[in-house]
Amino acid sequence: MTDFASETPPTDPVGGVAAPPTNRMVIAILALIGLCVALYLWAHNAGLTGPIVCGVGDCATVQSSEYATIGPIPVSSIGVFGYIVVLALSFVGLQPAHRESPLIGGLLLTGSGGGVVFSGWLTYLEAFVINAWCQYCVISAILITLIFLASLPEIPRLRGGTS
Amino acid sequence: MRPHKGEPDVSRGEDRRQARETESEMKKFYYLFGAVAVIGIGAVAYNVGNGMFGSAVSAPIELDLGDDEALVELAQGVEKGDVDAPVTIVEFGDFQCPGCGSFALSVKPQLDGTLVASGQAKFVFYDFPIVSIHPNAFLAARAARCADDQDKYWEYHETLFRNQSRWATASMPSSAFEGYASEVGLDDGDFSACLSSDKYADVVTANMELGTRMGVSGTPSIFINANGKTRRLSRFDFESIQQEIANMTATEGTN
Repeated sequence: MTDFASETPPTDPVGGVAAPPTNRMVIAILALIGLCVALYLWAHNAGLTGPIVCGVGDCATVQSSEYATIGPIPVSSIGVFGYIVVLALSFVGLQPAHRESPLIGGLLLTGSGGGVVFSGWLTYLEAFVINAWCQYCVISAILITLIFLASLPEIPRLRGGTS
Repeated sequence: MRPHKGEPDVSRGEDRRQARETESEMKKFYYLFGAVAVIGIGAVAYNVGNGMFGSAVSAPIELDLGDDEALVELAQGVEKGDVDAPVTIVEFGDFQCPGCGSFALSVKPQLDGTLVASGQAKFVFYDFPIVSIHPNAFLAARAARCADDQDKYWEYHETLFRNQSRWATASMPSSAFEGYASEVGLDDGDFSACLSSDKYADVVTANMELGTRMGVSGTPSIFINANGKTRRLSRFDFESIQQEIANMTATEGTN
């Protein structure tokens, strides 16, 4: 991402329109990429893609394991839902009226934090239980971690809102 | 925001400048977002399109095999050994069947090392995937045929059986099959192109029909053809096969 927004302060000292928060732009782009990855895995689970494109690893083993679903819900669809929520939050948070919203900031932080914990658990399963790696799941775990890191600048905004 | 009464005009100018900058930043963001959306959604759509319009055939297809002649012409076993060997050992097998796996990994190597190596017998494998209980068996049979295109059928055959438990329950086993193709040294691109097509779906289907017409109802089914006769074996450990061949060839000697 470019650093174009960091040159301007988040709020205009004379009370003008707040600059769009760069971190939320980053989150939106990352969430969009994550959504595409999750959509691909979901389409694969639904049998829409034919042979999975896997250069390395063994997605079939991971996706056919008992951990590929939580009850009747495929993990990939949880990913699709999660990324849509994060994408929507970041988009709303970029609109002028919500650029300083502590609520959006809090939801982004907790949502992506939860995603990191969930992805961490899935990665642990891949490494130590299933003993196979699906690179799409790994990419998703990296993306949600980056989204969480990009959500950290929300903390001061959170304090500002509560004070 | 508008300046309050009495504020200097420079504040309004500053506001406009900032609004323009903000607008420009958002525009850059929307361009980047749009580009990522087009690439990402395009990639998913491309894969879904490929899957829907060029998907790997993983189930038997409709064939007109009304008469035996048409069936025999289409059904093809894969042979190993001297084509002129006096004895033929025929297996109807299912790559997802544990019994076939056991046969392929313990009995067949003994046959290869003795009867087949000596030229006394040739071994012929016909596909008989029991698709009702083994959903990946048909695709596995096709995958092995794709390996045969590159003269690695038997290596691939053994690899499939050796790794049976890994791919048998996979919801989409293609990536595993592609992995095994690399493992046995196949050209990945050619193999994947074959696997993701409908190539050999007709041959595998015909083999299944041939098996059905020969009374095969389970796998492995082993037949011995010698001396103009064909017998189906009820036991297929190495000793039993050897004994049966000895009996059938001995009958030839006494005739």
